[in-house]
Amino acid sequence: MGCSISKKSKANYWDFASLASETMFSLDEVEAVYVLYKKVSCCIVDDGLIHKEEFRQALLRNKGKPDLFVDRVFDLFDLKRNGVLDFGEFVQSLSIFHPKSPAADKILFTFNLYDLQHTGCIEREEVKEMVLAILKESDLELPDEVIEEIVENAFNEADSNQDGKIDLEEWKEFVGKNPSLLKNMTIPYLMDVSTVFPSFVENKIMLI
Amino acid sequence: MMGELMLAVKDKNNGGRDGVEPRKNYCKLVMQGKYELGRVLGQGTFARVYYARNLESGKSVAMKVVGKEKVVRAKMMDQMKREISVMKRLKHPNIVELFEVMATKSKIFLALELVRGGELHAKVSKEGKLEEQTARSYFRQLISAVDYCHSRGVFHRDLKLENLLLDQDDNLKITDFGLSAFFEEEENNQVLLRTTCGTPHYVAPEVVSKRGQGYDGSKADIWSCGVILFVLLAGYLPFHDENVMQMYRKVNKGDFTLPSWLSAEACDLITQMLDPNPSTRITLAEIMESKWFKSDSVDCEDDDESNNTTNSKFKEVEALNAFHIISMSEGLDLSALFSEEKKKREEREEIGFTTTMSETEVISRLEELAALSGKFKVSKVGDSVVRLQGQEKGRKGKLVIVVELFTVSSSFLMVEVKKDSGDTLEFNRFCQNHLRPTLMEIVWTSTASDIKYTTPPPAAAAAAVASDNYTSPPAAAAAYPYVAAVC
Repeated sequence: MGCSISKKSKANYWDFASLASETMFSLDEVEAVYVLYKKVSCCIVDDGLIHKEEFRQALLRNKGKPDLFVDRVFDLFDLKRNGVLDFGEFVQSLSIFHPKSPAADKILFTFNLYDLQHTGCIEREEVKEMVLAILKESDLELPDEVIEEIVENAFNEADSNQDGKIDLEEWKEFVGKNPSLLKNMTIPYLMDVSTVFPSFVENKIMLI
Repeated sequence: MMGELMLAVKDKNNGGRDGVEPRKNYCKLVMQGKYELGRVLGQGTFARVYYARNLESGKSVAMKVVGKEKVVRAKMMDQMKREISVMKRLKHPNIVELFEVMATKSKIFLALELVRGGELHAKVSKEGKLEEQTARSYFRQLISAVDYCHSRGVFHRDLKLENLLLDQDDNLKITDFGLSAFFEEEENNQVLLRTTCGTPHYVAPEVVSKRGQGYDGSKADIWSCGVILFVLLAGYLPFHDENVMQMYRKVNKGDFTLPSWLSAEACDLITQMLDPNPSTRITLAEIMESKWFKSDSVDCEDDDESNNTTNSKFKEVEALNAFHIISMSEGLDLSALFSEEKKKREEREEIGFTTTMSETEVISRLEELAALSGKFKVSKVGDSVVRLQGQEKGRKGKLVIVVELFTVSSSFLMVEVKKDSGDTLEFNRFCQNHLRPTLMEIVWTSTASDIKYTTPPPAAAAAAVASDNYTSPPAAAAAYPYVAAVC
């Protein structure tokens, strides 16, 4: 992929059909996701890749300011860990949010999401950091002991072996009891992405 | 000329065809492994409609196939895309639903709701004028759908009898909402795609004179509905002349003659709808209040009490914990990628916020709110669930809102407000105009999202509280509860 490749030919570079077969999307839906991808990837730097700032802007519309949660999602989407999202990474990651994607994938994604330090466990400090972030997001200030109580309650429920951290097995069990924790892991729009972003992209095999 | 969208299918014609030799007009094709195409249901100048079956779900649809080239040639691709996404958002019992869009190199496929009862147009041409009672039932459905779309800023711009279909149960379904500009019939062999919308017989005078520039889409649709109502009751068009110029002249002057058999109320309504001056033309709200529209309405009092199905719907309540509030973060809501800021707000079916008020405080606030507005009946469903039952009929029936309270910690509550039934837009308006301000009276700190509420200084808050006969103990007022929206 040379840098002189125009956006149009980059679309051709991606084999939509194989992306469709690897993900929950149909061919038409991959194309529709491509329309979305193009929109996001050129909102700040028009280089056909999604940068963190662009991802933040698309989600929060806040001119790309850092955000603990958005940045975590971005890092998880960035499968190649090179600081940008290409179309393949975008489609594959977004596929986890498809209503038909297996719950196990969604559970794993949330586990990695909340394991801020990548230690393989969700630790107390991480939870506290996220609780503080969400309260800040809501402009809500609570006394420290209330926050500690909130974190404590969560660990009492999730940390079944009481070793002070939540491992993947404990997380699976916990999410099983609290299915609404996966609510934001499903984007209903993905079911009808073809109508939200009609694409009619040219480069497709004629089937009819 | 037949309407190009002939979705009328008689059941016996498409049942049991599998495995039968392909015949003329019946080609068994599998589209992208997903839809099996059947016979042609209708044909227009540049779209053809097939019967099709979704192989996964077994659901029958009407597959509209449009030649891409023609759309491209008319330079309307972008508009078409835009309008498809608009159309997708319309969900109403009286509007043909768009399920899916697909494309190949040369064609665009729209999978639409299959409507099997034929065109209202065919019914009137065959059976002649309708009884007022029958016409009223169709007209009410028409207005309900048009009102729904207008409330979302979508105008049809080409309403005519040919765009009204009937399903098996004789319900009216408007087709081509938002897409009318693309699927017009070729009129007098003039143009393939006309940007100025409307069929001459149904088009409002201001649309003709302004050539489609800067007119009020809502008023123009009302005119067309007036023509439709006239046709239903009279059996013929109100404005007609062999000479097109002559006809436009009549339209401009609102020059039509009401048939003698119409009731006074019907005449009255038609006259107000076919007012050539858009600024004095009747509005949708006025139409719905008109005598003819309301007469002999069996306002089925949808059994408030027996409607309490909500109870059973509640699954075992999950205890809320830190991860629940974390998962409500805006940054983790990826659906934001798919909607414009504004729409996202208006089409939400639930909102959540956190508060440091106590459960009883929140509930008493809600009760006060219901009593003040007089529009809701409050009932407690459980210890921490409150149901607000709307007393007025909305666009999609009565609005029912369920408020659930969850304890996160001893001094921290999460409140979830969900639409149980009714119109989503009305729900959002209620949250915006009533619910939020009410809770704000105590103190509403800003949401992280688009709308900012300013926090009143404690003194002002206390004053607001006092003037509202807020009777909580001074200690609570001093504790200064916070309410904040999280999503």
